[in-house]
Amino acid sequence: MNRSGVGLANRMPDRFGSLRTRLALLYSIVLFVLAAVMVGAIYLSLSRALSDEPMSRLARFERLATDTAQTSEVESASLVPDERPSRPWLVIFEEEVNLRALERLRSYSFTALAGLFLGSLLVGWYVAGLVLRPIGRISAVAREITATDLSRRIDLGGPSDELRDLADTFDEMLGRLDESFEGQRRFVAEASHELRNPLAVLRTNLDVVMADPESGPEDFRAAGVVALRAAERMSVLVDDLLLYAHHERPDATREALDLAVVVAETVEDFGAAAGRVGVSLELVERTGLTVLADAAALRRAVANLLSNAIRVSGSGGSIQISTGGDDDLVWVSVVDDGPGITAEHLDHVFQRFWRGDRSSTREAGRSGLGLAIVRQIAEGHGGRATVRSTPGEGATFTVWLPRYVSRVVARRERV
Amino acid sequence: MRILVVDDEADLLDALSRGLRREGYAVDTVDNGEEALAKASWTPYDLICLDLTMQGIDGLEVCARLRAEPPGGVAPRILMLTARDTLEDRIRGLDVGADDYLVKPFAFDELTARIRTLLRRDSGRSGAVLEVGDVVVDTARHHASRAGRELGLTAKEFAVLRYFMTRPGEVLSQEQLLDHVWDEHADPFTNTVRVTVGTLRRKLTVGDEEPALETVVGSGYRLFDPDAVRDLDGESDQ
Repeated sequence: MNRSGVGLANRMPDRFGSLRTRLALLYSIVLFVLAAVMVGAIYLSLSRALSDEPMSRLARFERLATDTAQTSEVESASLVPDERPSRPWLVIFEEEVNLRALERLRSYSFTALAGLFLGSLLVGWYVAGLVLRPIGRISAVAREITATDLSRRIDLGGPSDELRDLADTFDEMLGRLDESFEGQRRFVAEASHELRNPLAVLRTNLDVVMADPESGPEDFRAAGVVALRAAERMSVLVDDLLLYAHHERPDATREALDLAVVVAETVEDFGAAAGRVGVSLELVERTGLTVLADAAALRRAVANLLSNAIRVSGSGGSIQISTGGDDDLVWVSVVDDGPGITAEHLDHVFQRFWRGDRSSTREAGRSGLGLAIVRQIAEGHGGRATVRSTPGEGATFTVWLPRYVSRVVARRERV
Repeated sequence: MRILVVDDEADLLDALSRGLRREGYAVDTVDNGEEALAKASWTPYDLICLDLTMQGIDGLEVCARLRAEPPGGVAPRILMLTARDTLEDRIRGLDVGADDYLVKPFAFDELTARIRTLLRRDSGRSGAVLEVGDVVVDTARHHASRAGRELGLTAKEFAVLRYFMTRPGEVLSQEQLLDHVWDEHADPFTNTVRVTVGTLRRKLTVGDEEPALETVVGSGYRLFDPDAVRDLDGESDQ
């Protein structure tokens, strides 16, 4: 009992929950109420008009009414004394006619209203179906779309109305999702490719040394050294992959900070590391370069530029770090005196997993993501990263960021 | 069997060459496409293990060039080793002329199994066990015997016998053996080939057994092939 009651309650909203039903009902009810009000008004005003101005009061019919009234008064007085002596028969007749006419009008109106309601229900149902058909198509396509196949589009034709607009918006959103999924997929493919190489080194070395019954402690030691190197490479790679994935979502908190201060701090951090490999760092700073940025990300970008410069400069090299800016932009630039980059490679240096010279850089434990992260951070802050280079003389990497002018400052300057 | 391994990972190259040498192959290594092409042009490798992603000339390019202009008219077998594993990558690799495709990281045993398969294709035999007369060589288990008697060969002797077994009845010169069984570090002016063939011959034939490996004066050595002899007998009968 109880269950069937619940079932019914659950089913009811389903049936009346259909937008088509609701639209048709609403449409019919509104139409019905309007029609009813109108018919009611006509009826009321008609009945009032009829009772206010009886035909018998008109001058033309006055005498006829009184004549008949008098004769009838005599007759009726004799027959029915004191009964409605002042009402002539014409008036009674007229009232009867009016009453009948109004009754007829009432019943016609009710029939017409009932018919109108039924008709409008049908028309409403049909029209609502017609209007809502594109929505059915949209939801059918949406149902077919899975995260792995975002290539489907609704591609709704027809006039450019609200629904077409909705479908187009939906298509655009799918396009953006498709693009970002594709980018994600490419990134995962590249990352797994990069992880497979050290993994192959690890596995093959262990396989070979374990399978050889003649392997001595020295062989195992050598394999261990190689395995450590591969593990080191993988952990650098994984760290950078996580960083890269993290900076892909620009959700970090931004604060107004001085780029020059961040750069100076980072250069200081790198002083010891640079000294160890015999590279000198020279900082030319101009302070007062306010940017709205994530401090950790900015520090990471500068650090990546510095470690790249230190790596390519080699012992005895010197690196110049300078900061500056104008009204709209601030910049930090790192100039190394390494071998430089040839023109054909300039376009690729910010690409992820691109390495100038694979075999030599891999041994240095690089992930190939350092400069890609720099570009990502720069672009995430609304800026960009650029590189200039003369082969043989070194390269200049620059990060440009939009200058932050707070409203308070702007107002003060105007005053 | 002589193999060239091409990969830009020095650590992988070392391990592969060590493991493959232990399997009795003569192994040369290079870490870039240019040198790979140069080496392949003057050495008739039986097989090249080729990494796909290298700076400069990449594996696909090397493979395509070797197929377009095979050095000495015979293109070596090519086994691609790569970390790229998408379907398109595999198809492209095979289309450009690779004989097989192995995705990194791989089990070393799988690599050797595939190498054996690829090298067998030349001899037209299907299994890992080669048989010529009463000599049986199991290339997978490194096992050589004659009439059930374990031969107890060194890796080099085994490699020489395996090469003979894939070409029974064929006269193989010292240079051929040097090209296919020894790597680039072998000194062509020593008599290492003669010495190895000599010890192999002694191990193959003991007591009053029929000699299995014969010297063809002036041209080289030949593994005695009873099937070929029988065929010749049949022809002479008619």
